[in-house]
Amino acid sequence: MSTQTVLFELGTEELPAGEYEGMANALASGMASGLEQQGLSIGEMTVFATARRLAVLIKHVQERADDMEQEVLGPPVAAAKADDGTWTPAAIGFAKKQGMSADELQIINTEKGDRLGVRKVAAGALCADVLPAVVTHAVENIPVSKRMRWGRERHEFLRPVQWLVLLYGSDVIDVSVFGLTSDRVSRGHRFHGQSSVTIPNADAYETTLREQFVITSADERKALIKNQVEALVSKDERVVIDDNLLGEVTGLVEWPVALRGSFDESFLTVPRQALISSMREHQKYFHVERLDGELVPSFITISNIESKRSEAVVYGNEKVIRPRLADAAFFFDTDKETTLASKALRLESVLFQRDLGTLAEKQTRISEVAQTLSQTLGADKATVKAAGCLIKADLVSDMVGEFPELQGIAGRHYALHDGAPEAVANAIEQHYWPKFSGDQLPQSPESAALALADRLDTLIGIFGIGQVPTGSKDPFALRRASLAVIRILLAFAPTANLEMILTTAKQSFPSGVLDEGVVDTVKAYLLDRLPAHYEEQGVSVDILRSVTAVGTETIGDIDCRSLAVANFAGSEAANALAAANKRVANILTKVDEALPAISEQLLTETAELSLRAALTESQASLDLAVADNDYPQALSNLAKLREPVDAFFDNVLVNAEDASVRLNRLALLQELRGQFLKVADLAVLAR
Amino acid sequence: MSSLTFQELILELQSFWGENGCVILQPLDLEVGAGTFHPATFLKALGPENWNSAYVQPSRRPQDGRYGENPNRLQHYYQFQVVMKPSPADFQERYLDSLRRLGLDPLEHDVRFVEDNWESPTLGAWGLGWEVWLNGMEVSQFTYFQQAGGLECLPVTGEITYGIERLAMYLQDVDSVYDLVWSETPTGTIKYGDVFHQNEVEMSTFNFQQADVDHLFSYFEFCEKEAERLVSLELPLPAYEFVMKASHTFNLLDARHAISVTERQRYILRVRTLARLAAQGYVASRAKLGFPLADKDLAEAALKALAEESAA
Repeated sequence: MSTQTVLFELGTEELPAGEYEGMANALASGMASGLEQQGLSIGEMTVFATARRLAVLIKHVQERADDMEQEVLGPPVAAAKADDGTWTPAAIGFAKKQGMSADELQIINTEKGDRLGVRKVAAGALCADVLPAVVTHAVENIPVSKRMRWGRERHEFLRPVQWLVLLYGSDVIDVSVFGLTSDRVSRGHRFHGQSSVTIPNADAYETTLREQFVITSADERKALIKNQVEALVSKDERVVIDDNLLGEVTGLVEWPVALRGSFDESFLTVPRQALISSMREHQKYFHVERLDGELVPSFITISNIESKRSEAVVYGNEKVIRPRLADAAFFFDTDKETTLASKALRLESVLFQRDLGTLAEKQTRISEVAQTLSQTLGADKATVKAAGCLIKADLVSDMVGEFPELQGIAGRHYALHDGAPEAVANAIEQHYWPKFSGDQLPQSPESAALALADRLDTLIGIFGIGQVPTGSKDPFALRRASLAVIRILLAFAPTANLEMILTTAKQSFPSGVLDEGVVDTVKAYLLDRLPAHYEEQGVSVDILRSVTAVGTETIGDIDCRSLAVANFAGSEAANALAAANKRVANILTKVDEALPAISEQLLTETAELSLRAALTESQASLDLAVADNDYPQALSNLAKLREPVDAFFDNVLVNAEDASVRLNRLALLQELRGQFLKVADLAVLAR
Repeated sequence: MSSLTFQELILELQSFWGENGCVILQPLDLEVGAGTFHPATFLKALGPENWNSAYVQPSRRPQDGRYGENPNRLQHYYQFQVVMKPSPADFQERYLDSLRRLGLDPLEHDVRFVEDNWESPTLGAWGLGWEVWLNGMEVSQFTYFQQAGGLECLPVTGEITYGIERLAMYLQDVDSVYDLVWSETPTGTIKYGDVFHQNEVEMSTFNFQQADVDHLFSYFEFCEKEAERLVSLELPLPAYEFVMKASHTFNLLDARHAISVTERQRYILRVRTLARLAAQGYVASRAKLGFPLADKDLAEAALKALAEESAA
């Protein structure tokens, strides 16, 4: 089998760093599946991606696909001949379409009966012939987040397209997209390389471009940057390599060269997060720490050239970061000229939400609710109160105005500067925790009380004015807030009554502002977020439904029961009992009349007697286990009911002729169901 | 590197882009926030006509004033603006050549194109492109216009905006804009501070403290009415002047903190509505002339589309 390497390169103006890799991968999979659809076998595939090129190299692409036998089916044999034995018009028409006479057709057996037809051998596609269409289709299916046009044509892509290379082995294959035609001419590095680079054959792509100062593999650049960055720090330092930042800088260079610069040590008095933000967000620098975690007044930048005078690049970067850090230092100093308490007064002029008032009002509500809940969370009320009137004050500081991600952190520094106790300062910072899914929880009950009250205020307030989040629109991040509420309650107040907590939050709003049913709405919304919370713990949506169906008083109780059911589910006993519960539930829903207490006299058959005995036995131990929240124990008790239940259904006819016997059996089933419902509605889990 | 004076830098850019086929214009004689507002960018980006131009535009951002005390922030500064329509395929290379012309060797200095999506809510305009970084410092904005005045741009205008004070501060290696050498004269060195420091102090005082709020509010209303009236009289160019005046008036009111956060959005929308009207009026007026500066095929296609639109 003769094969060659295929290379396609799409040359562009600089693509955004966050997107080029995904685009290259989509191009590659589009080409691979396109070739395979043509019956062409392919070998190993490599994806190359830089800001200026998306390229795919596929080895061992078959030159010509194998011939394929094809069956073309015509009319059923029954409809092929008239009574007199002559061909029907249907048969003649089909034969004509196939370019033959009806006599030359064959009979082909199919699942749907014998059909007239023809077996043909289709010549396998030539790679060179189909490649242009495959490439065009793959290019058209590259996901583009925001399309743009350029020049005077209507072509659209993420940034203007500049050149195309399409090679099969050493042959150029013509393809036209974006008004350009492919050739073997690529481009080297913008400054170190040549503006026109001939690729002799597909296999030479990577090395040819490397000679032109382009490292085409994103993974290789990433590894290189990592090594270079690490080589720039001494033994008693470490560099923090954030994956997002690494990905971003990898997308900004074709020939990475890491350089280290420094800034004045005096800036280290500014909160480190402000310095890190300045370096990372604005300048895409890596920051350097001492082994004890203290910031070193240095940064590492990744340039795209091997500069003739790298000191000029370092000097330039130092010149840029200086005024930025000076700004941060200036904000920090001016912010400290007024107290946090005086800043809190200015919250009166900052709107939280039109119908829900100012941030000052929000802060007051949070503080009240957190104080009310102090005992529930085991928090010191005085500390909650002291922090409560300051938690949002840093939002009007210059520092947070410039670095929004410093909210809370700035407040903590200013509180300490004003002489506030550590616990108050911590609560100011930590009431924003967890900041994102998987982030750490507040560490003190006081911080947790405020963090909880803040989330509840947003949830109750926004739902209360009818601004329900929709699929993609969740401007107040209510989903994230709900997950935070679940996590905080689990950690600090697992036995707190959900309705009580939500009602407390609701009562902090003036009457008439919120929808009356808001507590129920928010509770339902919180419960709907449970699957997201439990996703990683392998607790399925069905399990949560089975648990919430029988009670949603406290998050801790839901948690215990969910984990127990999840552990139990999937066992053979669980499947059988789920099926039995479903059966029982179905039977009971059809019952209209009130059921009597179980009468021992009316129990006659062995199977119902033994079920009754088993139920009586399990009742006592079940109640004990449930009282102890020992749901695994409760479930293992219930599992013992499996055999008597199965025997009951195998041997006993529920719908007995005698109405009193029938009602008595139904009562027995209700007792059975009642025991299960103390843990979960297993019927939900039945398949 | 013998560095250019501030005025030499402007002259170099002018001659470079003049050699690249741009019509060199002088600044617009109205207060605007950016070179994009100049009719030579905003209006020329509309419709099918070709246009290549470059000019300096004094830009006023009342909010950014710092009474002459901040070395980097000014309420009045210069932009050097280049527009090429249709955007040429080698637009980036030409830009890099302009940096070389200023003495910046990209094999010595790290030049990068970093994603930046530009949007002007008041002009109803947006485009995609980059910030250009020179050793980590943003020195230019590079944008392919997709929409202006709410209208689709075809051909696409490519726009380059140089922050020339920044570039000059880099070239001359000074840390304060006021220390820039503007020009060497027989009577001595003239610095940026000699030319503009007093202006920054006084204009900051005016913008933040003295601008007459009541008058500005009523002037905004007047500009709005005038723009609408002039569009209806098929006078889009004077109408657009009032759009720019309304926009600057809004900026002054904003600097005086006279507009609340919620109101702010409404004012922006009002200016955008005017910009749209002026844009539509301008395209209609050019259509009447048959889009004289357009390629024939594009002129015909645009005229046909307009005719179909008015028929529908």
